[in-house]
Amino acid sequence: MKWRPNNKILYPLIPALLFLLFVLYSLVMSFVESVRGPDGWTFEYYRSLFEEKRLYASISYSFFVTFISVSLSLLIGWGIVRSCHSFIEKSVGKWMVWIPMLFPHFVWGYFVLLLLGQSGIVSSALFQLGWLESREDFPILVQDRSGFGIIITYLWKEIPFVLLMLLPVYAQLPKQYGEVIQVLGGSRRHVFSTIEWPWVKPVLVEVLLILTVFIFTAYEVPALLGSSYPQMTAVLAYDWFYGISWDERSYAFALLFLIALVMGLLSLVSFILLNRKRWLISKSQHQR
Amino acid sequence: MKKSLFYSLSAIFFLLPGVLLMLKSVTPVWKWGEAFSFTFTLRGWETFLMDDRIFHALFLSILIALAATFINLAIGMISGKALSHQNFKGKSLIETLLLLPLFLPVMAAALGLHITMIRLGLANTWFGVVLVHLVPTVPYTIKVMKAGYDRLGGGMLEQAQMLGAKPLYIFRTVELPLLMPSIRSAVFLTVTISMSQYVLTAVIGGGSVITLPIIYYPFLQSVDDTVMAAFSTAFALLPIIAVGAVEIVSKLIRANGLVLNRGVK
Repeated sequence: MKWRPNNKILYPLIPALLFLLFVLYSLVMSFVESVRGPDGWTFEYYRSLFEEKRLYASISYSFFVTFISVSLSLLIGWGIVRSCHSFIEKSVGKWMVWIPMLFPHFVWGYFVLLLLGQSGIVSSALFQLGWLESREDFPILVQDRSGFGIIITYLWKEIPFVLLMLLPVYAQLPKQYGEVIQVLGGSRRHVFSTIEWPWVKPVLVEVLLILTVFIFTAYEVPALLGSSYPQMTAVLAYDWFYGISWDERSYAFALLFLIALVMGLLSLVSFILLNRKRWLISKSQHQR
Repeated sequence: MKKSLFYSLSAIFFLLPGVLLMLKSVTPVWKWGEAFSFTFTLRGWETFLMDDRIFHALFLSILIALAATFINLAIGMISGKALSHQNFKGKSLIETLLLLPLFLPVMAAALGLHITMIRLGLANTWFGVVLVHLVPTVPYTIKVMKAGYDRLGGGMLEQAQMLGAKPLYIFRTVELPLLMPSIRSAVFLTVTISMSQYVLTAVIGGGSVITLPIIYYPFLQSVDDTVMAAFSTAFALLPIIAVGAVEIVSKLIRANGLVLNRGVK
């Protein structure tokens, strides 16, 4: 067996594997907590969880907010990188992109509230200019039921994130292949499909997954900018976790465990699909 | 044309908010409908810095962020090096699995750990909070450090070894100086992410570990915009200070008179 001689290589991986075990353990425990009833194991909580009206409202609302925020930040971010990457690297532009990254999400949420709230800076400025009769004329943009404030905050924070994740990819794009294709008479579409897309796709998928799970289950921004109904999943789970009844505590575990399960499987599948092609690329990349 | 469009848009959307928050922290409260006043005042910062709760929270947040950063760098450098310089079966699987925590809801991890933390006596302690802050940060650090070791390559380390340098000396003279860009990014990311955690800290800290994010929410209801703006600006300054601190520490660890510093960035 090859296992023995390889043992030495495994030692440096022990801390990382311990960390993985720690995360895995936490997920197993949230499953255990979701099936532990007063008299033994039960899936009763899952059954009654799916009878909760709040759950469906929360899931569809979170899905809507997540879908809009993720797709817009990816599209806009990718678009900016595609057209501007040649001069953003090594310029003041890159420093400006870092600024929103410095602030926590809830601070950015507060900033959106300060700016776009009904008694915010924009509303006040419009009144001073005589474009508004009163405070109530300004539309309710934050702490609204449609989730506009939450989406704006996420877009504002995530577009820079997308930029910073994609810029290194575009900086490393093998441009000489593009010239080869052009010399051989290939079209721009060929350049895109043979060079750009295979390089960008893994990072795009990664960013897509990170943003989706983050926005779907983050507590900080909706707690600040959301309305009391419908609630994003994390706010609902938080309420349930600190709720009065034991049932609700179990709902919190069940809900988060289900999301973890779905997202975990989804990311594993997409990485297995990606990896088949990716290691061909990375193999040639390492042997420089 | 494209260039000026990009610059003006990022000035408006990225630079301006930061400037506006800073400006708001040194100007009086802007009452709705009244002309904006730009009279300079330090009241926001004074209130922020004089508040005992804030001072404690600031200290505790820095302690937690630095401890998390230290553990992150240790795990990230050890495993990043192995993942980059070694070849073994199942490597790409391990790499994928190590990224997986980023694709899972961190709140599930926090709630799942809660009871175990209570049993171990780590709930409501700052170290328990450090442990749970590792969940959203370690995958990034491993990724960043692995990329750093990829760029470094194995040749330089092998040469140092062949010339008879001890591992610690190699670390001080070759690895640390050449990995500084990656270390800087890892520290920056870890501190920023750690400073952004409300729900993880609230669940595991259980109301007795009061960090800056924990008091940010109640403050929003009780103080005015000038103080809030100062509070908000402080969040952005902390990661910058942390990177500066790490820079100084690494200067102290690094061996003097490096040949490597020339030519290689």
